[in-house]
Amino acid sequence: MAAISKAYLAGLLAVLTGTAVLAGCGTDSTSSGGGGSQTIQIWEGYTAVEAKTFSHMVAQYEAQHPGQKVSPLFVNNDNTLQKVLTAVRGGSPPDIAYLYGSWAPNVAQIPQVVNLTQVVKRPNVNWDDFWTGERAVATVNGRVIGIPAVVDNLAVVYNKTLFAKAGLQPPGPDWTWQEFVADAKKLTNPAIKQFGTAYVTPGTEDTVWHWEPLLWEAGGQLLTPDNKKAAFDSPAGLASLNTLRTMAVADKSMYLDPSDSAYGNLFNSGKIGMLVTGPWDLSSFPDVKYGVQVMPAYPGTSGGHQTISGPDNWVIFNNSPARVAAAEQFLLWYTAPAQVKYFAEHTGNLPTRQSVGDSAAVSQQMNTALPGISTFISNLGNVQQARPQIPQYPKISTILGNMVVSVLLGKSQPQAALTAAAQQVDQALAAG
Amino acid sequence: MRRGFVSSEQFTGWAFVTPAAVIIGLFGAAPIVWSAVMSFQKNNLLTPSTPFVGTANYRQLAHDPVVAQAIQHTLIYTALFVPGTMAAGLFLAVAMNRKIRFISFYRTAAYATVAISTISEAIVFIWLFDPSYGVINYFLSWFGVPPQQFINSPSQALYVIVIMTIWGWTGFSVVIYLAALQGVPQHLTEAAAIDGAGPWQAFRRVTLPLLSPASLFLAVWLTINALQLFDEVYLSTQGGPLNATTVLVYYLYIQAFQQFNFGYASAIAYFLFLVIIVITVIQFRVGRRFTYYRS
Amino acid sequence: MTATSAPARGGVRSPAGGAVRGARRRWRLPFSPWHLVLIPATIVLIFPFVWLVITSVETPAEALHFPPVLVPHQLRLANYPDALHSAPFGRFFVNSAIVAVVTVLSNLVLCSLAGYAFARFRFLGRTALFAVIMATLMVPFQVTMIPQFIITKWLGVHVLAAVGINHIGALILPNAATAFGIFFLRQFFRTLPLEYEESARVDGASRLTVLIRIVLPLATPALATLAALTFLDSWNNFLWPLIAITSTNQMTLPLGLATFQGAHQTEWTLLMAANVMSLVPMLCIFFLAQRYFIRSVAATGLAGT
Repeated sequence: MAAISKAYLAGLLAVLTGTAVLAGCGTDSTSSGGGGSQTIQIWEGYTAVEAKTFSHMVAQYEAQHPGQKVSPLFVNNDNTLQKVLTAVRGGSPPDIAYLYGSWAPNVAQIPQVVNLTQVVKRPNVNWDDFWTGERAVATVNGRVIGIPAVVDNLAVVYNKTLFAKAGLQPPGPDWTWQEFVADAKKLTNPAIKQFGTAYVTPGTEDTVWHWEPLLWEAGGQLLTPDNKKAAFDSPAGLASLNTLRTMAVADKSMYLDPSDSAYGNLFNSGKIGMLVTGPWDLSSFPDVKYGVQVMPAYPGTSGGHQTISGPDNWVIFNNSPARVAAAEQFLLWYTAPAQVKYFAEHTGNLPTRQSVGDSAAVSQQMNTALPGISTFISNLGNVQQARPQIPQYPKISTILGNMVVSVLLGKSQPQAALTAAAQQVDQALAAG
Repeated sequence: MRRGFVSSEQFTGWAFVTPAAVIIGLFGAAPIVWSAVMSFQKNNLLTPSTPFVGTANYRQLAHDPVVAQAIQHTLIYTALFVPGTMAAGLFLAVAMNRKIRFISFYRTAAYATVAISTISEAIVFIWLFDPSYGVINYFLSWFGVPPQQFINSPSQALYVIVIMTIWGWTGFSVVIYLAALQGVPQHLTEAAAIDGAGPWQAFRRVTLPLLSPASLFLAVWLTINALQLFDEVYLSTQGGPLNATTVLVYYLYIQAFQQFNFGYASAIAYFLFLVIIVITVIQFRVGRRFTYYRS
Repeated sequence: MTATSAPARGGVRSPAGGAVRGARRRWRLPFSPWHLVLIPATIVLIFPFVWLVITSVETPAEALHFPPVLVPHQLRLANYPDALHSAPFGRFFVNSAIVAVVTVLSNLVLCSLAGYAFARFRFLGRTALFAVIMATLMVPFQVTMIPQFIITKWLGVHVLAAVGINHIGALILPNAATAFGIFFLRQFFRTLPLEYEESARVDGASRLTVLIRIVLPLATPALATLAALTFLDSWNNFLWPLIAITSTNQMTLPLGLATFQGAHQTEWTLLMAANVMSLVPMLCIFFLAQRYFIRSVAATGLAGT
């Protein structure tokens, strides 16, 4: 009994000691510091080799710019919005944050977001050197609110071994969706649980942005030019959904992945013939002899082989003029051509600047390190348009996600799904 | 009960609860009041302007078809999850309440299921239930059952989540029931046996009633948690397919942090809050009749 | 699922004790029949954990297979040191440990006091206060985290820096007493027979002494359970630390684990290695604590009643 009360006294003591210890512990995250050193805080989601490269570059920056300190904090990109919004509400935003491009039209409404329109006009920034798609996503209503952080696009990654086994010609640069569907069917073998292709079906933007390039290639548009009404309930929309439906429902050549992660591992295990995916997945396929080809086209339309890109932004928040200036200085250094080249070559990420991406030497070197990446780099030229930069896009994304998933699951016919979704999108746009 | 110490009992009572009450009040109650205020505003979390819109959010809630679906899913989920977890936990706790070899290992295994990260749990279960490559369909094929779509099926996905979460929470039930079983004195069950009761009778008439406070606790606690299901949905089905696994908290998260309707999300949270209060009060009322405290 | 599937091989079974082998039994197994129940149950329970451990010793290439490889061709134990070195995990462990230990101790003290008061005392406003405490469980964190952030920030600036944003004190204080602990202990205390407390009061003991010397020793299983579960909750807590911590050296383990998860790719082998290292302390603590789950008859004071 006495032991128990002693234990409780010990417990109380521990709590008090703990509190005292904590009073001494804990550091202040951002400080302008004494002696003229400026620290900026940057929230990023770099992992693995990207993280190592970034650390190295930060050290380089600090060495080259004495008195400037960069304090990175890892935050998963998916969680950054939550953290930023809470911090903004609480009055302590970071200096720089990595934010998905799809959030840009909404993030632009945050008062602390710095307007970079004049900054990017400075002579050595060379704003037009960034790819069109990136600049479109960094600009909201004419205001530049971010500097491009990453760029990518969708192309087709295929398993050369499976193609050879099935006696199929590997895809050529002029191939069509008909060929894609036929190839997928031939590559499907239920007996060994092999699928011709896969599609991610969580119903989120991931589902939607894999479908949008098909719509564009078929010559269709998502919304009317004034962004007030849906425009995808059209022959092009029907063609795009029919392509997906044929594979998912009729031929059953499409593996449906609601987890958004199994498809890559399946491809690496040699169970999937072709994937429509991005450059980030290439390093996940060490066990497969893969090839990369541009997306197929719909013959007889104006769409060509265009693809979609999903750029993300570095956004600067206004904590104080000194910190904004320091943040701008860092970002402009970090996104300068020399650093873009360094980052691309060391991580395999696509270069965010055209001057770097157009360089044959860079492309070749990157392709040696990561085969197939050069096709993705040149595919950036196929990015002709971007998703609508409107605040209601997240609502529209949900509607479109459900539309695509219901067609893929065979729960609705393409035309009916298109009409229903178009109605809902019109309502969402009208509500504002 | 002793009377005549009323006034000092008042003082002592408040003295004992005050430290905990202050902490919970500050970090629990204050944010709740704050959020209530937010539910009457139009708030996109972006601009500081948060105009009052009266009951507009609540009216929107009443007409939102997804909310109706989410309510249905949340209730069905809770109705399956809570009894399932309690029953599994009780069974295993009884099994583990003995001193046989490896018992520490068995109990630690139960606890490990509570300790494992939700993402690991989600990955494994998505794999197990994969329509093409999963083990469950493989087992079902032994009985001639055709492969099921599970997470790809709007009619089955919610039940996969039920199974996943029962697995994840059984260890919690086990731990609670194990603690409670210590309060069941052996001499009572032995006396029942001497009086001719079989083991099941002894369990039903002696052990179960003595476990009723723990059962009430678990029923209330698991229900409150089940009605607020979020993590497993977020990490596996993302509310799909076609909203089949959209539950109320997941929907309000989407509204808050993807659609920037934080005022609306607060209103949904408050509606859920009312539902939980009503259900919990009912549980306590019913529990009062069936709970036996040895005091 | 019911307890009737207990292998009733005759003889009296006491749920609280070991098997009592009665004369009606014709043959014995060399081990307790309960193993036949527990082993399959345990396999089902630890299966994901097995997958986790296997992934943690695979090569990254083999981890990129679906269905997952359960018998790897090549082991890579270097995943463990690699994981430790990829981020300041030593610091994360220390932060998590401090937060968890202080949270547990604080809960044991504060929730015992409050739970006992709710269980045994009658005081004005008791029901209302208990209702308010329970009510705090009923609003999801996604909605309360912004006000909680603002309150924490205010406290850090105006009261005590150590509990403000970006200090581990901010991770401890909001959870220093939980509704869970209060509710759980209240239920448990109410199951204890009043006689011991009443006789101690007759002997002139103060209420606090009764709590500390009589009730708490009887409640060791509940306290051990509360400690184990509170530790677990604190150790695994992700969302609040995500919001409240803004510099790397204040991060806790779950935030550290997140550093293996990129936007498009996850370093599964390192993540699982780190997960194992994160789980091991919890499992060890539980393994040691669960001895206290079973109280010996002597400690209950019931022998001879």
